[in-house]
Formats: sequence, structure tokens, C-alpha cells
Amino acid sequence: MPPNVAELVEALSELESSEGPTPHGPLREALAELAVRPGPEGALRRLWAFGGLQAQVALAYLVYWVRSWSLDADGRERELNEAHLRAAIKMLRTMGYLRGAATKLGQALANLPHVLPDQIVETLERLHFEAPPMHFALLREHVRNELGQEPEDAFATFDQRAFAAASLGQVHRATLKSGEDVAVKIQYPAIGRSVRSDFRNLSAFLLALRLGRGWDPMKAQIEEIRRVIELETDYQQEAEWQRRARAAFREDDEIVVPRVHDERSTRRVLTMEYLDGVHLPAFLTGDPPQELRDHFGSLIVQAGCRLHCAGRLLYADPHPGNYLFRADGRLGWLDFGCVRPYTDREWECNRLADLAIRGDDDDMVRAIRATLGLTEGQEIDPEILATNVAFCRWIWRPYQRLGPFDFGDPGYLREGVEHVVALGRARIPSPWLTMNAFIERWYFGMGAMLYRLRARVDMRSIWLRERQAAGWGPP
Amino acid sequence: MMRVTAEAKLATKRRILEAARDCFSKAGFEAATTRDIAAGAEIAAGTLFNYFPAKEAIAIALVAEALGGARVKFESRPRGESLEEDLFALIAAELRALRPHRGYLRPVLETALSPLARAEASPEGEAMRVEHLEAVGRVIADHAPLGPLSAAVWSLYWTLYTGVLAFWACDKSRQQEDTLAVLDHYLKAFVGSLSNPE
Repeated sequence: MPPNVAELVEALSELESSEGPTPHGPLREALAELAVRPGPEGALRRLWAFGGLQAQVALAYLVYWVRSWSLDADGRERELNEAHLRAAIKMLRTMGYLRGAATKLGQALANLPHVLPDQIVETLERLHFEAPPMHFALLREHVRNELGQEPEDAFATFDQRAFAAASLGQVHRATLKSGEDVAVKIQYPAIGRSVRSDFRNLSAFLLALRLGRGWDPMKAQIEEIRRVIELETDYQQEAEWQRRARAAFREDDEIVVPRVHDERSTRRVLTMEYLDGVHLPAFLTGDPPQELRDHFGSLIVQAGCRLHCAGRLLYADPHPGNYLFRADGRLGWLDFGCVRPYTDREWECNRLADLAIRGDDDDMVRAIRATLGLTEGQEIDPEILATNVAFCRWIWRPYQRLGPFDFGDPGYLREGVEHVVALGRARIPSPWLTMNAFIERWYFGMGAMLYRLRARVDMRSIWLRERQAAGWGPP
Repeated sequence: MMRVTAEAKLATKRRILEAARDCFSKAGFEAATTRDIAAGAEIAAGTLFNYFPAKEAIAIALVAEALGGARVKFESRPRGESLEEDLFALIAAELRALRPHRGYLRPVLETALSPLARAEASPEGEAMRVEHLEAVGRVIADHAPLGPLSAAVWSLYWTLYTGVLAFWACDKSRQQEDTLAVLDHYLKAFVGSLSNPE
């Protein structure tokens, strides 16, 4: 089981005692408050929370910077850790408070080890499993509105305590009247409004940064992300993606997607087959052998490739809360809220990328020009081309390698982040950028999972096998 | 002269309420007339005024009846784990019972339940307020024996409660789910104020 808030408090108590009182109160109070704070619906309050978050994180680092002038190396290290931790706690408070889109942002950040300090990653990771829960009276009313019956009547048994929490909802165990064990995912009421409000605030902040020529593509990107996260609030759509994903795997694939129970599902309630298994942190606690790490790492890659090649769908939410490591060696794959179908144009870009991975530099330039939306004869800025070439070489490296690629190498992910930062700095105007945001989310999320698994995965073989099985022609 | 027994009066009153409920749901509160309601109750138009002085008074009676029934149901259920959970369950039960009356809750709020309404101006509204606050007091006593609460606390509570009712009456979200979020938020604020009065 992942650690809960109480265990986190316990683990941090030593640090808290050395931290002394802060302007925001002791750590314990902050976490206790997090557990009971409601998600505000008002845009102004959210705006305040975002602003407060920025200020608090900046303050933590400023304190470190000033104090580090007079400390020796060990002391500086200690100070840095404390600053990281304070920033993480403040981030957690604000993101738990905001729920919705901000929580999704917290989860995305937690997927990037070695980009953020370890303490922040570990703290934000709690968001995969812990968000402020709904009490049962609220849940009962919400379920009754959705299913027309209270949970105790709609199911043979219904566990009042959630066994998992996510950014947009919480999950309860239940039994159908047929006797089948199910997991019932229930969305927080009004979360869609929260998401819209969060994105309005985000746009307002970014607008203030005066991004110039980079504003239009970024606006399009934000709008696309908002649209997809808002789609995540529609569990009927999620059920459809889940059904398609489930149909894509056979028994011997060792990848299990839970079956959806339509008669107990609505836009806000999703009932599915219950899968046992443990999440990544618990799996790693057992110090699994390399062979098992590689096995599960390969299944994670295979799952994404299958959906991409055979389903023409991009799974953009590969974080530890969405995978179950099962004792029988099978991988449980959950949560299909953030799935995006490719448009025809994006699919054509994928086709060119598929050729380029196995081709030469000309193929790569052709693929890059297509993703940038350049027409025949249109000039490409040499700096933009160089930045894109570097990114493509990095992202395709595991596909081009013969034999297993070691995702446990921290240098690989760190290098990728440098490329993404360079792409961001270049502010490349491209209609295709909206898709890039999701590809990056998928690739970094998957990369972070494989890094933490220390998995060695033969990407090339999996990719070639999947593309061939999907009828893409000979490799 | 024939005397009208208390039982007959009660029966007539019930017929008026049933007819009003029917008229309000079919024609809407604004379009429904006391003449229509009297006809539906099979009484003379003038007789209706022996029971209710105006259409609004009938709406108040219907709302009071719905709220009373919801409280009885709530009291029969086992208590939850926390004060805010039980307060939520109480108000959610009331909102559910009020669903058939949602179309005319606003005039009821304005005339009878508003925090600004004077007790003597609407004895029915005052009765509703007292009955609801007594139920709330019992829930609070079950969870947190705080002793008598100040008038300011009750005033705060009533303002939040009527605010939720007003929000719900106009809530256009799917299944009024926004109201559930607002109610949850308000109750956390109220319960928080009980434990941290300053």
C-alpha cells in the first residue's frame, strides 16, 4: 500500500522539528488542513491559490539562496533539501486544494524524476493515490443522482471507504448483485467547472508573461489540453476508450484492461471489473529481480504501442497510479480518461516519423517539416531545425537501438528535458504542437515509469512487432 | 348553520395543497391562479382564502410539508461519521424532497425564509426556520456537545443554508451537481467556524 498522509507526517516529523515555525504554520497543520479543505469553485479563489503557490515556492528557494551563502557544503545540501521539502509541501497543499487541473499538473510534475528534486517528486507522488476524499453523504447523494439508487441499493455490497483517490474522483470497492467484484470510480461533483476555471486562470497568468509570437501556439496547446482534461470528466467517453483498449489485448498478451459495466456507469460514475495487484512504489518495495523489472517494463511499452498502432489512439496518462503489477506477472492497465485519437494529419506525421526512425537524415527532416506544417519549398529556420533534429534523435534512440535499452540511466530522461526546454525556448509556431504536448506527456510519463523500474526494454522489437501486427507493412 | 369540523377543514386543506401542486407543476407557479387551484380542489374560489391568503402561502405550506417529511426520513437513518457529513445528509434530504417544488422556491425564499424576513411577517416561515434549526441543533449535539450556540452562529448558519437553497433553485448544472459542491464547501466553512470561533 502507498504511504498515506499520516505516514508522510510521521516520516517528516524530524524535519519539521528542525524547520521551526513558518509563516504558513507547522507542517503537520498544513497536511491536516489539506485533508479537510474543500475544492473552491470560485475563480477568484483559485486565482489566489495559484498566485500563492508561485509566491510560496519562490520564497522557499529564496530563503535557501540567501542562507546558503554562509553554509559549508554539507549544510548547503541540508538547506537545499529543506527548501525542496517546504516547497513540495506547499505545492501539495495548493494542488490538493485546487484538485482538478492543478492536481493533474502535480501528477505530471511528479512523473519527472531528476527534473524536480527527489523530495518534491516523492511528495507530489501522493497525489497519484491521495486527494481530499468525499464524505459518504456527499457520495451517496451524487451516486443516487447518477444511478437513480443509493450505492447500498445499486450494489450488493459497497465499501464506504475509497481504496484509491485520483485527481478527478475516488474509487470504491463494491460487489454487483451477480457477485462480481467491481471498482466504482466516482467523480467529484462540479469538477468540470473547476477545470475550466483553472485553465482560465492559467491563461491569464501566461498572458501576463507577454509571450509574443509564442503566444498563439501556446494558447492552442493550452486550449487542447483543457479540452482533453475536460473530456476526462466524461466517464462515458472514458468507458468507450477502455472498451477499445480491452478489445486490443488477448489473454497471452499479459495485459489486462478491466471490463466496464455499462448498466452501472454514467458520465460521473464508472463501474468496472476489480483488478488486484500493487502500484509501482509497493512493487519496488519488494526489490524485484531485474528480469521481473524488464518484464513489466516491456508490458508498459507494449500496452502503449498497441493502442497507438492498432487503435490509432494516444494514451497520455502513464503514471504509477494507472498500472497494477500483479502477482501472476500480468500488467493491469487502468484509467483511460486521457486518451486522444489522432487526426488524419497527425496520423500522416506519425507515418513519416515511422519511416524516419528507420530511415536517414532526409527522412527525419521530411518528418520534422510535416510536423511543423511546412509546405513544399517553404524555408525552415536552421535553429528550429537543429532543435527538432536533436529532440528526434533523443526520442528515437531507444527505437533505433538493437537489443534492450536501459531506461534506468538517469542521463537519458535529463537529456530529454533539456530538449523539451530548448523546444519551448524556440517557441516554434506549429499547428502540430498541440499533439506534441500529449506525445511528450506520454513519452515522459512512460520514461519516468521505466526509469523508476530500472527496466531494460527492447523498444525496437516491441515497436516492430506491434506495427507489423497492426498491418503497417514490412519493417 | 352547519359547522365545519376540524377533520373536514383538514381534508379541504389537503385537497387545496394537492390541487396546487398539480397546477404549479402543469402551468408553472406564475401562470397558476387561485381560481384554477380552487377548481382543482372542488371548492368555491372565495373558500380558498379561508385557508390561504395568497398563492405564495400555498407554496410556503407545500415547501414546509416537504421539508418536514425529509427531516423525518433523515432522523430515521443512522448517523454518519462527522458533523459535516450529517449536516450534509440532512440538507441533501431536504433538497431531494424539494425537487417537485423547485420552480417556486424562490418566492418562498423571498417571502418566508430570507434571513432578512421578520418573524411576525411570516409565521409559517418562522416555523420552518425553527424546525430546521432544531434538527441542526440535534445533529450538532450528537457530534459535538458545544452547549448553547450564540445567535451569531445561528445567523451565520441560516445565511449559508438559505444561500444554498437559493443557489440550488437556480442551479443549471447537470443534476444540480454544482449545488452538492457548494453545500459541501459551505458546511466545511460552518463546521470550521464552530471549532475555531475567532
